[in-house]
Amino acid sequence: LRIYEDMRGIQRRIGVLQALISLALAGLAGLFWHLQVVRGRHFRQLAESNRMRVVSITAPRGALLDRSGRNLVLNRPSFNIVFSPEQSEDPDRAIGRLAAVLRVGEAQIRERIARRPSRLRPVVVRTDVSLEDVAAVEARHLELPEAFVEIVPLRSYPLGASAAHSLGRVGEITERQLSLPEFEGIAVGSLVGQAGVEARYNARLMGQDGSRRVVVNSRGNEVAEAERISPQRGPDLTLTLDMDLQQAAERAFAGRSGCAIALDAGSGEILAMTSTPSFDPNEFTTGLDPELWAQLANDPATPFLNRVIQGQYAPGSLFKIVVGVAALEEGIATPSTTFFCPGYLSIYNTVFRCGKASGHGTVSLRRALAESCNVYFFQLGVRLEIERLSRWARRLGLGAATGVDLPHEASGLVPSSEWKLRTQKVPWYAGETVSVAIGQGQLTATPLQMARLAAFVANGGRLVQPHLVRAVGGTPLEWPPPTDVGVRAETIEALRAGLFAVVNEGGTGWRARIPGVELCGKTGSAQVVASARLQQAPGSFNLLPHGWFVGFASDERRSIALAVLVEHGGSGGEAAAPVARQILSHVFRGSVDASPRLPEADE
Amino acid sequence: MAIDRRMLTGVDWPLIGASLVLAVIGVAMIASATQTGRFAGVHVKQLIAIGLGLVALAGSLFVDYRRLADRAPVFFLAASAMLAYVLLLGPRIASTRRWLVLGPLQLQPSELAKVAAALLLAKVFSEARRESLGLSEILGPGAAILGLASLIAAGPDLGTAACLVPMFISVAFLAGMRIRTFFVLALALAVVGGLGWRFALREYQKTRVYSFLDPSLDPRGAGYQSIQSQIAVGSGGFSGKGYAQGTQSQLGYLPARHTDFIFSVLAEEMGFLGVLAALALYLFVLWRCLETAQLARDRIGAFLATGVAATLAFQVVYNVAMVAGLVPVKGLPLPFMSYGGSSMLASFLGVGLVVNVRMRRFVN
Repeated sequence: LRIYEDMRGIQRRIGVLQALISLALAGLAGLFWHLQVVRGRHFRQLAESNRMRVVSITAPRGALLDRSGRNLVLNRPSFNIVFSPEQSEDPDRAIGRLAAVLRVGEAQIRERIARRPSRLRPVVVRTDVSLEDVAAVEARHLELPEAFVEIVPLRSYPLGASAAHSLGRVGEITERQLSLPEFEGIAVGSLVGQAGVEARYNARLMGQDGSRRVVVNSRGNEVAEAERISPQRGPDLTLTLDMDLQQAAERAFAGRSGCAIALDAGSGEILAMTSTPSFDPNEFTTGLDPELWAQLANDPATPFLNRVIQGQYAPGSLFKIVVGVAALEEGIATPSTTFFCPGYLSIYNTVFRCGKASGHGTVSLRRALAESCNVYFFQLGVRLEIERLSRWARRLGLGAATGVDLPHEASGLVPSSEWKLRTQKVPWYAGETVSVAIGQGQLTATPLQMARLAAFVANGGRLVQPHLVRAVGGTPLEWPPPTDVGVRAETIEALRAGLFAVVNEGGTGWRARIPGVELCGKTGSAQVVASARLQQAPGSFNLLPHGWFVGFASDERRSIALAVLVEHGGSGGEAAAPVARQILSHVFRGSVDASPRLPEADE
Repeated sequence: MAIDRRMLTGVDWPLIGASLVLAVIGVAMIASATQTGRFAGVHVKQLIAIGLGLVALAGSLFVDYRRLADRAPVFFLAASAMLAYVLLLGPRIASTRRWLVLGPLQLQPSELAKVAAALLLAKVFSEARRESLGLSEILGPGAAILGLASLIAAGPDLGTAACLVPMFISVAFLAGMRIRTFFVLALALAVVGGLGWRFALREYQKTRVYSFLDPSLDPRGAGYQSIQSQIAVGSGGFSGKGYAQGTQSQLGYLPARHTDFIFSVLAEEMGFLGVLAALALYLFVLWRCLETAQLARDRIGAFLATGVAATLAFQVVYNVAMVAGLVPVKGLPLPFMSYGGSSMLASFLGVGLVVNVRMRRFVN
């Protein structure tokens, strides 16, 4: 007989365990019901956002073309070396290898990794590398799978520093820009226009970025593409610039600092615009080199300044055109009115001198313009007085921005008694009017305003709207038509005759003469008030006046107005007129290609 | 040999069958989870492990479980020796010393130690023939188990070490441990746990606990596993994303997906329905083990089956709860389903002991 153990107590306790285990498993089933069925939608969204990522595709910027369709600015493919540390099993070793392959410091790569905006995106380690570096990285794909080559379109300026101020440059969007409404929706790190047409037309040039929805794995590597919205390339802009004339202007300025602007006198289209010293926008396309930036920004020669629209100079004798128009229109003088010039005018207890100490004798408006007689215009100024003078200056486009399609245009300054009282709390002195009458004193203007003044005479009394862009994506832009200032035809005729004499009848602008071409012009000198900065930079300190020349010429095909300013060039006739001649002779060949020779003295 | 026809008919085929079904589901999920990457093809190894497990199970049936229990001290010492050897001289794999390398085979002695512990506890407690057990009766086996658990925990392999605790408590409970004794023991465990936290736990283990308490503290680090597994489970929904269609598991968001987190793959790809089926199978297996304990003709058999069931139950419940993000992440495989030969071998050996008890309930 076998004695069986008494198992009853044990069996009861096993029942307890069975109950516990069943309870636990039932509880787990309930937990999974809650997670999978009740909250399933929530977790499905989390899983989706895990695996789906939206990657934006940068739209290529539109190109900039000259008026006949030649490339001024375009995109070229460039190679970046990018690196994704997440993909690496041993990032430190990979960084070391990459540094060796690219011959850069490890610290530089580490700094770029530390600075990147998003952990999810690979780091651009070097931009625009040589084909040699591309080959070096590609060849090490097996040892260095974390590094790869990315092809990105890069802004390219084939003309280099030429026309840099009008075309502008691109650069990474700045902190300040990110907060502006016009840059809304543009991501950190995007390239945007930072100057010139690139900046002014930035929104259109950028086009519409595309995007891709991609499936990524846990390391952030792309596995598949779920959806793609193609980027819309920005439209090409057709500029009014004539590449040949532009380059002719650059050549004419070789070794000088200053600026020149050529306009179509009828439409206001800017045919050429140069400002020297300049900069090469290609240097900024891959990101800002802080050293280069500091050097350019602090250069006393101000290479970033577009002198044509931002330089504010005393117009000097160019202003005599305005005084002439005002006097004729206000009935102060007629074309045949004469004044005697003894070489000075003594008025308001002051002696105001003419350029020619021995005097011009009895001169009419025509001779006064041709020989740039100060006394004649002192007399007109005294009779016009400052109010009428400044009103006419403003009517002819001075003292206000022209509205050219470039950022940061300066307005120049037309003083008046009201202005002086408001800003300096001092009444106007009649003697100041005498200075203003020959374009000195507080009067300033931009070269663009002076070119427009020349166009005004050239086109018979209308103010044009200067502009640089003709068409966007083939669609012409609607620019405001020239506005009629309301000046009598006889007035324009008288002015034109005087300006013709300046160049062609023994006037101060004889050096601009192109035989066989009907070129009219006016010379001037802008007295230099030495700025504190110039005085601190010995060598560049120069008290020679800036030489001015404005003029216009036409043939049956076109009519071109231009302004030339040579900084510290001396008199306009000596410094600026030859430059103007060189530029214009590119367009107007004339009958004899010989240097002009005229005996008379300068202004 | 001690097998006759009566015994053969007593073999618990449903238990073996259910275990095998779980193992096959596991192979299928492993195959799905490792389609690409460096673990591709490991499901074939898992099939071999299942085969070895079945052979070991069958082999163990030839020896009466009481004879095995008689040898329990020998097994126990052997297991301890292996653990000590691995700890001192074993290779470092993934910065832990858990593996015994025998030529092409890698064995985790900690898994086999669980079997030895079940045998030892059954043997020791079956000899204490009193209505209720006090602290003095508990102390001996308790110390032995604690020693074994410490060797395993030093691996470090806290999960497997923890498996011994429910085994001990269940068997002691069956043997008549008083509730008061249980509380004293719990207090002692708390003290040991506290000291362990202070002195024995590695930083990564502490981080796991911290990050479990607040996974958002470190979503890319230790909390990451918990969060991603929960997302996988939840996003599976009612009927799942389909076999090999789980985005969380296929795209690598799920860590250790073919080992400790295999249940997460199942939940994501097979949905609540798959989860329910697997849990039902586990419930059947555990229920069947405890039923065997009730049917056993002696205390050794009852204790043995209960010890095995308690360990399995603890592993299943903890692993599934961990996959759902309910408890901290611990390196604890899911019996039958997780990839791993040692775990598979130990699970089938455990089932073998239960079958052994059941088939011998009528003889001698």
